[in-house]
Amino acid sequence: MTMQSESARAASASEALFRIDDPNSRPRAIKVIALDRESEAVVKRLARSGWTNASFLIAPAGDPPRGERFSMNGWLSDLAGQTLDLVDEIDKSDLVVMIATAGSNTETASIIGEACSLKRVMTTALVLAEPTVPDAALSRSLSQLRPWALMLVVASAEDYIADMLTALRA
Amino acid sequence: MLRKEQGDLLTRTGPGTPAGTLFRSYWIPALLASELPDNDCPPVRVKLLSERLLAFRDSKGRLGLIDEFCAHRGVSLWFGRNEEDGLRCPYHGWKYDYTGQCIEVPSEPVESGFCKKIKLKSYPLIERGGVLWTYMGPAGQQPPLPEWEFAQVPPGQTFTSKRIQESNWLQAMEGGIDSSHVSFLHRGELNTDPLFRGARANQYNLRDSRPVFEVVESAGGLLIGARREADDGNYYWRITQWVMPSFTMIAPRGNHPVHGHFWIPIDDENCWTWSFDYHPTRALTAEEVKAMRDGKGIHVKYVPGTFRPLANKDNDYLIDREAQKAGRTFSGVEGIAMQDASLQESMGPIVDRTKENLVSTDNGIIMARHRLLRTIKAMMDGKTATPPGVDVEHQRVRSAAVVLPPDKPFIDAAKEALTVRAGTAHASV
Repeated sequence: MTMQSESARAASASEALFRIDDPNSRPRAIKVIALDRESEAVVKRLARSGWTNASFLIAPAGDPPRGERFSMNGWLSDLAGQTLDLVDEIDKSDLVVMIATAGSNTETASIIGEACSLKRVMTTALVLAEPTVPDAALSRSLSQLRPWALMLVVASAEDYIADMLTALRA
Repeated sequence: MLRKEQGDLLTRTGPGTPAGTLFRSYWIPALLASELPDNDCPPVRVKLLSERLLAFRDSKGRLGLIDEFCAHRGVSLWFGRNEEDGLRCPYHGWKYDYTGQCIEVPSEPVESGFCKKIKLKSYPLIERGGVLWTYMGPAGQQPPLPEWEFAQVPPGQTFTSKRIQESNWLQAMEGGIDSSHVSFLHRGELNTDPLFRGARANQYNLRDSRPVFEVVESAGGLLIGARREADDGNYYWRITQWVMPSFTMIAPRGNHPVHGHFWIPIDDENCWTWSFDYHPTRALTAEEVKAMRDGKGIHVKYVPGTFRPLANKDNDYLIDREAQKAGRTFSGVEGIAMQDASLQESMGPIVDRTKENLVSTDNGIIMARHRLLRTIKAMMDGKTATPPGVDVEHQRVRSAAVVLPPDKPFIDAAKEALTVRAGTAHASV
């Protein structure tokens, strides 16, 4: 009888019983930010599920503010309407997920994206696009988000967001 | 991370399981046509979706895929005599036709009609593109025949191989839609493998090891775009196709053939990795076919007489630490296919997904699981009997590699390139 190789033995189901059972990661902080009114409603529904490591925020809809008087203080808000400092929030996060609806104006992604770039925080943008959304509308949203998202996802149903957050241990 | 019950739902494919029902909605590859080369040739054992079956080609060339065991005393019909339009059990001479119908029970009077009462479970088996395909679902719901382009082009333009992978199908398939590992695990092969080297785009891969991803749902599954810096401010896009439940097609390189995979469960701890290479507009060259037979590209060398890779877990995948140290291979394992398989098998027969820590670049994998779970649930609830990927329109797809200006979304700019256009080459860089 030949002896089993190390790889054969190690990959067996019986050896799996001896794998270390301690947690192998620490919780990460995920900020989920709605970029438009439709996605704000989605984020509010999502927040009701009771997440351990995710917090849910709202960015002002429309064109991003310009000019010297713009301040990131109080630019964001939480779901209760309390204003928050964007850079502080980004600073406390490991991942920022921006939620947008296809066809809406998502230019505010540039403000969040720049802050994430400054703080070296990973960004994901998720565009909700029902199958009936015209290609041009989806393209416009994507082109606004693309420069600011290191991962861009187009999903047809909002339940994907919950699955994604679960997968990311939110 | 997946909850345990979600993982179980996706990884168990035996009879009566939800994911098994999903797989049983499709035509799936069962054997290479070359495994049954002649009428009345020896039968071949086939295990698929946790069912033990036997394939044979009868005297008239009809293909049968039937229960492996004789209904009389449970003998394996692999020992049977394939002769005169049927397979005869060597124990007591019971004989079965290609549909599994018993046509002779020598010990019983013919007039009794006893043999008509004996029928083994069987599935249709058809030949297309050098592959024998089966459909293991309810007879009344048989879908249209498969129309994957690799199985539709003339025989000289396509090459298919298969290998046993000693892991669950899902962890193998997830490797096929995980574009970010290429710049690490396979970096040694991009400039050396005869089926990869020479493409202009290889340098984009090697220069930019942090691609940016876009994941878009398609009618049949997903499009996964990986974007890297190209020249002159443009982006190099590699677009992978995933069609449910387990077809993947990797973006091509240069004028090399384009390739992809099917991952088909043998049982819950083993799967068949099917690997195809084809060119839509030209015959494969003798050098290309030789390279594929020699285990280059996505193919493997075999243990002689089997479909088991020569480098396998029983020989530690012939790992070469010197090659790893010298940078000739990143993991020390030779060849793209076994670099993937060695790591996927090392996870264990069924990886424990409750322990994984996915990151946002894993959204392709997360979305694929989401779509599989959503479809399985819809089937369990009776809301659909036809999952994505059954419709032949979903099968008429191509992967693509393109260079685009930064303001052009790949789903628009590469729309034509992502569908089959007969007589037109694939989009490649």
